[in-house]
Parts: sequence; C-alpha cells; structure tokens
Amino acid sequence: MLTNHKLRRRLGTCLAGLAAMALVGSMAAAPAQAETTEAAEDSKVLRIATDGFIDSFNPFTSFYLLPTNSFRYMYENLVNNSAEDAQPTEGLATEWDTDSEGKVWTYKMRPDMKWSDDEPLTSKDVAWTYNQMMEKDELSVANGGLVENFDKVEAPDDSTLVITLKNPQSNNPGQEIPVVPEHVWSKIDKPGEFKNDEKSVGSGPFQLESYEANKSVTLKSNPNFWRGEPKVDKIQYRYYTNSDAQVQAIRSGEVDFITGLSPEQFKAIEGADNVETNVGNGRRFQGISINSGVADAKNNEFGTGNEALKDKKVRQAIRAGIDIDTLRDQVLQDYGQPATSFIPSVYEKWALPADNPVVSGFDVEKAKKLLDEAGWKEGSDGIREKDGEKLELRFLTDADATTEQNTAKFLKPWMKDIGIMLKNEASDVDTVSERTTKGDYDMYFSGWSINPDPDYQLGINTCDSRPDADGNGGTSQDGYCSKDFDKLYEQQHVELDEKKRVDLVHQALAQHYEDTASITLWYPSQLEAFRSDRFTGFTKQPTDGGIIANQVGYWGYSSVEPVSAEDASGDGGGLGAGGWIGIAAAAIVVIGGGGFLISRRKKSDDRE
Amino acid sequence: MTTPTHDLPTPAGGPDPGGSDGQTGRDMDEPPKGGSFLGYLLRKLGGALTSMVLVIVLGFFAFRMLPGDPVLKIAKERPMSPAQIAELRSQYGLDKPVIVQFWDYLVGIFSGDFGESYVYRKPVSALIVEYLGPTLLLTATAAVIAITLGLWLGQLSAWRRNSLFDKIASSTSLVFWSVPTFWLGLILLMIFGGTLQWLPTGGMITPGLNPWSFAGIIDVIKHLILPVITMVAVVYAQFLMVMRASLIEEMSEDYLTTARAKGLTEDEVRKNHAVPNALLPTVTVVFMHIGGLIAGAVTVEAVFSWPGLGKLTFEAISGPDLPLLQGTFVVFSAIIIVMNLAADIVYRFLDPRVRRA
Repeated sequence: MLTNHKLRRRLGTCLAGLAAMALVGSMAAAPAQAETTEAAEDSKVLRIATDGFIDSFNPFTSFYLLPTNSFRYMYENLVNNSAEDAQPTEGLATEWDTDSEGKVWTYKMRPDMKWSDDEPLTSKDVAWTYNQMMEKDELSVANGGLVENFDKVEAPDDSTLVITLKNPQSNNPGQEIPVVPEHVWSKIDKPGEFKNDEKSVGSGPFQLESYEANKSVTLKSNPNFWRGEPKVDKIQYRYYTNSDAQVQAIRSGEVDFITGLSPEQFKAIEGADNVETNVGNGRRFQGISINSGVADAKNNEFGTGNEALKDKKVRQAIRAGIDIDTLRDQVLQDYGQPATSFIPSVYEKWALPADNPVVSGFDVEKAKKLLDEAGWKEGSDGIREKDGEKLELRFLTDADATTEQNTAKFLKPWMKDIGIMLKNEASDVDTVSERTTKGDYDMYFSGWSINPDPDYQLGINTCDSRPDADGNGGTSQDGYCSKDFDKLYEQQHVELDEKKRVDLVHQALAQHYEDTASITLWYPSQLEAFRSDRFTGFTKQPTDGGIIANQVGYWGYSSVEPVSAEDASGDGGGLGAGGWIGIAAAAIVVIGGGGFLISRRKKSDDRE
Repeated sequence: MTTPTHDLPTPAGGPDPGGSDGQTGRDMDEPPKGGSFLGYLLRKLGGALTSMVLVIVLGFFAFRMLPGDPVLKIAKERPMSPAQIAELRSQYGLDKPVIVQFWDYLVGIFSGDFGESYVYRKPVSALIVEYLGPTLLLTATAAVIAITLGLWLGQLSAWRRNSLFDKIASSTSLVFWSVPTFWLGLILLMIFGGTLQWLPTGGMITPGLNPWSFAGIIDVIKHLILPVITMVAVVYAQFLMVMRASLIEEMSEDYLTTARAKGLTEDEVRKNHAVPNALLPTVTVVFMHIGGLIAGAVTVEAVFSWPGLGKLTFEAISGPDLPLLQGTFVVFSAIIIVMNLAADIVYRFLDPRVRRA
C-alpha cells in the first residue's frame, strides 16, 4: 500500500501558500480608494498608449518610431516644421538665408536660449552636433543621410551658424536633425553606445525623466523651452502590446490618448463616454507598386516580373480598371483621402493637384482599349492573350493586413472584367519584403510615410537610387527609372525659387503618374482618440484636419491642458471593484485549498 | 502563435508532448525493463543533452532561414545611405561568413553569452534575466492554481464518474481548453477591463509605483488576475483529465476492495488509498507541462502586455532580432528539456513499480 506523505505534505504547503496569496489578493479591495487620490495628482500627466520599440534614447543612433517621436519633443531642431502646414518655421534659428547658388546656408539663432539644465544654448552646440555626425561613423547611424551633402559647418559667433554644402540644394538643410548640448555629450566616452535613457538635457518642450523597458517612458516638461513651459507636467507612454487592449484602456480611463486605430476599433469607440475622436489627415500614402521591370542602378535586370508590365499601356489599363472610390469606401470605410501621386495632400503645396490633366479615373472601357492597343486580345475564357501567353499577374499582400486582403478581394474580379487574371499571393510581411527586394513579384501593396519636403521621396524614384537584388546600393520606392523624371528631380533639387520648384515637383509627379510605376490608392487617415474629461487643446498638424501623434514637430502634446480638477475626478471608482474579483478568486482557492487541508488532518488518525 | 500547452497528454503515459528523448512508453502496466537507477539516469541525461545540442544548432540556423533581412527592415522608409547600411551590418556582425557567425554563437553560448540584441543593444543574457522574473511570477501563479484546480476537480470527477458533476466539470474544462488563448484573453480584457473597469487592461504595475511597497504589491496582484485566469482556464483541463483517468484506473484495483472490506468510508477510501496512487502518473504530467506553460506565456503576455520573456520573444520575432530570438529559443527549450528530465527522474522516484523493475 502506498501512502505518499511527502507528496501530500508538499501539495498541502502549495495550497497553504496559494490560500495566503489569495487572501492578499482579496485585500486589493481596501487600498483602492487610497489610490484614487493618488490618481487625482496625475491630472497633469498625459498618459499615451504605445507599443513602440525603444533601442535607446540616443538621437544619433536610434531608428524606431517611439524614440524618434520623443526626440521631436526632447530636442529642438535648427528649423522646425509648422503646425499649420508642416512647412519650415523657426526653431533654434529665427531666420535663414542662402547664397544665390543654394550652397552656403546662414542661420541667425534666437538669443538667450537655455538648455533644460540652465546652461546657455548657442550656435556652437549646433555646429558641434552636426560635425559629430559628419566625422564619426557610429554617430551617423540614424541621421547620417541628412548630413551627407554637408561640406563643413561653422559657428563664427554664438548666434550665427553657417552650413556649406558639397552640392547646392533647395531643401533647407537645418531640418530634422536633433541638436544636443555639447557640454553634456562631449564628456561621454563612447557616444555611439550611450543610451541616454536617464534624465536627459535638451531644448524641446519635454525632457526624458525615466524609462522602464516595456513598462513606461516618462517625459517631464522643460521650464526653459523657448516657446514657454507646457501646461501638462508630464507625458507618460504606457506599453500595450496589442491594439485592442489599448482601446479598452482608453475606455476604462487608464490612458488618455491612443492612435493608429483600425476603422473597426475607431467605430467601436466613437460612442464611448468621455472619449473624443480625431480623424487625422495623415502624411502617408498607400498604393499598388507595379513591377515595370526592376533593375539595379547599372540597368542589370533581375527578378521575375511579368514582361507584360514593361508596357506602360498595360500598367495604365490596370489603374483604369480599379474603382478606387468604391475601394476607399468599402475597404477603408472612407477613412482616407482621395489620392493623386505619392506626395499626400496634407502637403498641399507639393501634392499633385487633382485637376492635373494626367489624373484619370475609373474607366473599364478605357482599360480594355489600352489592353487592345498593347496587343492583348481577349481569349475564349475572357482572359487576354498575346503570343499564346495568358495575361496572369501575381498580387503580393501581407496576410495579416486587413486593408490589403480586402483590397485584393475587390481587385480580383475587377481585373477579370478587363481580361487580367489576378492571383492573390498573401504572405507574411517578411516574405513580402524579401520577395520585393528580389523583384519576385508583379504587383504588391505598398505604402510610405512622407516628410514635409518632397526631395527625399522624389530622390528614391530616380534611376541612381535603385538597389540590386540583395537590396544594396540604395532605396527605391517602386524600382522606377525615367530619364525625364531624373531631370526634373535634379532641377527641383537646386531650384531656390519656391514657386518654380513647386512647379517642377508637380511636373515630376505627373511624369511618375503617367508612367504608372505605381498606383496611389489613398492617403489613409490616422485614427486617434483622447479622454475629453481629462485633457483638451491638442494641436493638429496640419491644424486643419491633421494628426496629433507622429507629427513632424512637437505641436501635438505641447499645447495640451488638463481639464479642470472637478471634471477630472470621478473615475477610479471602478478600481475598488477589482477587489471583488480578487475575493472571488480567493474564495475559490480558499474553499478548495481549505477543504484539502481539512481532509488531510482528518485522515491522520486512520493511517495504517 | 502556437502554445505547446495545447498538447493534451494521453493519461497515464502516452506520447511525451515535450518530446525530449523520444522515449514514450510510460504505461503503468509496462514499466521500463531492467537497468540500475544510474543507467536509467544516464540514458535520460544523454537524451536531454542530445536534445539540447539539437536546440542550439537549430536555434542558429532556423532563424537565419526566416525571410527578411533585419538590416534592410530597419532601413526601410528611412533616408539611409549604402554606407550606413554597411555600417549597421558590420555592427550586427552580419557581414561575416555564416560559418564564422555560427562559431561565434557556439563559443558565446558555452560562455553564457548569447550576443547582443539588435534592437535593445544590450546583451541578450541580461535581457533574458531581466524579463524572466515577470514570466515566472505569471506562470508559477497560473501553474499552482491550474494544477490545484485540475487535480481537485479531476479526482472528484473520477470518483463520481458519469454523474452530473463529472459531466459538467469535464466538459467545462474541455470547452476552455479548446478556446483560443488569445480570444479568451481579449474577451476577459473587454469585459473586466474595458466595460466593467474592474481590472487593469495591461502591464504588470502602474508606472511610478514602487513594486515593493504595499500599494505596489496590491497593484501587481490586480494586474495578475486577468492573465492568470486566462492561463488557468486554458490549461487546467489537462490536469483534470489526467487525474480523472488515472484515478478511474485505480478504482478498479483490488486493494480498494480490501480497504472497503476493512470498513472504511467511501471518502476515506478515495482520499487515503486511491488518490495518492493516482497522483503518481499525474505528477509526471504536471512536470512535463510546467515547461509548456512557460512557453504558453507568449500568447498571454502578448494579450495583456505582460513585460515578460514571452513578450520579449514576440517583439524579437517582429524585428527580426536574431540574437534575441536565438537566446529566448534556447532558454525556452532548455526549460522544457529540463522539466521533462525532471519528470522522468521524479517518476522513477515516486513509483516503486518502476523502481522494482
């Protein structure tokens, strides 16, 4: 007979421990009230849900969205992007000028500025920062591309900065580079490895106060910020791995702001108490990239693209066969703006106007005519053929992206209508990226976020920027190459007269549209929500209908004000109820565990 | 995401879900034949070591077969020059030949160095140590509750086989067991987090609270409740089923008739005679599944933003952060292998019928 006392004793101990734990759990109900008063002090802490990666808070090396967004708040740039329309506005510099060629840029600095540690901020700090990036490889990792055209940077006096470029450029070179304090950074041994994740010294509206990996990032307001100290004390990013949990968190009042919602999530939250929503016109485009014959910068072709797509008429036929308005309505539930080319309409000045003669709409007859002209004749099954070859195209999508899957569903029958057999190839995002690098596709769903100056995005549509099949050599939006486009790119790159430059940019975009290297579908809205019972005064960019998070600037949160205290109270009452769950769980365990323990005692007298 | 915890074990032996050594026969009627305990131990140790070697090799090559170039992925949509990309490649050691990378990895592992994470720019071993604590807290709490609940309900179910209680207890547990963890977690999150607002919707502690203060501990417990309930609901069925099956098997044994003949009550027979014996195969299964539970934390941690190893792995996959993936893969596998080994040893200790053979 086997009675294993040891085993049972151990189980008993486990149960006793559990019972104790559950008891502590049930006590959760009691101090919940105390916490509510603590929460009231948080009325000036703006809590934002995030799932962003953080590698470090080193502005020289960090790539990821959350840290780079934080840098916009932590470090003022020489030239900022305005809230109104994201065009250049004063930052550390109040005014700037360039020589007739666009090679020497001179900046006048704002007088009497201070870093957050009260040390003076001068043009010497700017020169030091830029020079570090130019001289040290390990400090050029994140933003090296922005100083590549810099020949030298000098600070002849405390209030003047002179940037001399290697080649002329019309795009203001003082944008987008976080300026750090020389007196802090020059003392760091290995600045490339410096994490900068404890109290930071900067010049922006908020400074890093603390960072707990995967838990929170806390920024504190900077009293020395030249536009004046923000009205909230702190911004606190809180980590939520999944976006549905973020939606629940704003409903329950655990966070004050969320962004990046799907249309379904957005609709679900629209009626929620004390939650206000924002449909922000975003700075992103989404579209269909077409393999018009990928090749590297030396024109060595690679990849498996369908020969048919080398014909401009076939590509144009595909565009004419897509009912983009219906697609936007059905797939995006209308949370997106109509698009022309790859510069979003929030950059009103640069975007290709909708009334440009190249812009065309949905037209099945035109699509069929174009395919006829290209020599593709309808076969017995309705699919077009040429030289015995059927017109079959592969459409590569990310299987996890609802937008892409839904788009593919609409596209398949539409393409069939004009005589193209479309094969949807849904895959994971890594496979999609690998296949597109190798040119192993006919069409794929693509998208980019665009910065206020169009130069970079135009640049990656030039022949020289095409990478090879390993992805080396450059970055290309669609593998596009056109001598005419390149010429327009070069012209706008050095054109200092803004009016003329705008015209050149429009011409380049029209050329790209006409060549149909890709079909821009829409500029998706950025869907956001905030707690209207706690905060007010979020500044959008552009101010008229723009976005709050992920701006190119620090406007979104620096203007925020807490709603008066009595309005803010009243939440947190539910927290006490959390204890009830604890009590219920405790009860189950205590009853169960207790029963086991009692039975143990009872049996001790009838042991053999 | 697949959770190994979903391999419902065949009661009283059956295929070893962890699959540490391919030795599957643990049937009560057929104890392993012959051999001293030392021989048995060496055999098991050998199996575990082989598995570990395979895991280490696989840990390197499997993730390198993943599509996508980590550097290009980071460079995507950023104004990066070819020189910058090359610099990143060399920082990550990706410019070296694969065989050299493999050698560095092997040498590293044997000195406890899993390399440096691409994303966090920190030693992987330090990251794993940092994130292990929350995972252990979550899985240990869930394991203790699931095991207790499963065993307790399991023995009651078996004793009242085919009663209404048995039917309800067994079928409820199976329903939870077949529900996707992610879905169940989200439903609980919506009801208790969003709608009722009783419990926090994510994380381990409210930022700013000291975890070692009284308020901090209470706060952590509140954050624990939903993820623990999710994990328990999904896994307790396997303990219930094993306990039930093995007790049912015991119930046909002659010694119970003897015990009854001595005039013991049914309750006494159950608690003093049948249950202790039925616990033996169950304990083995419990051990085997502790490893699986830790791996299963990946899903729960992702739903509830629990800052543990599972979430770390989840993020490493999206990178892809190769050194971090390798590190977490090796650690997860090692835990499962060690737990299986422990199960084998414990089993041998506990069951005299195996020892006697």
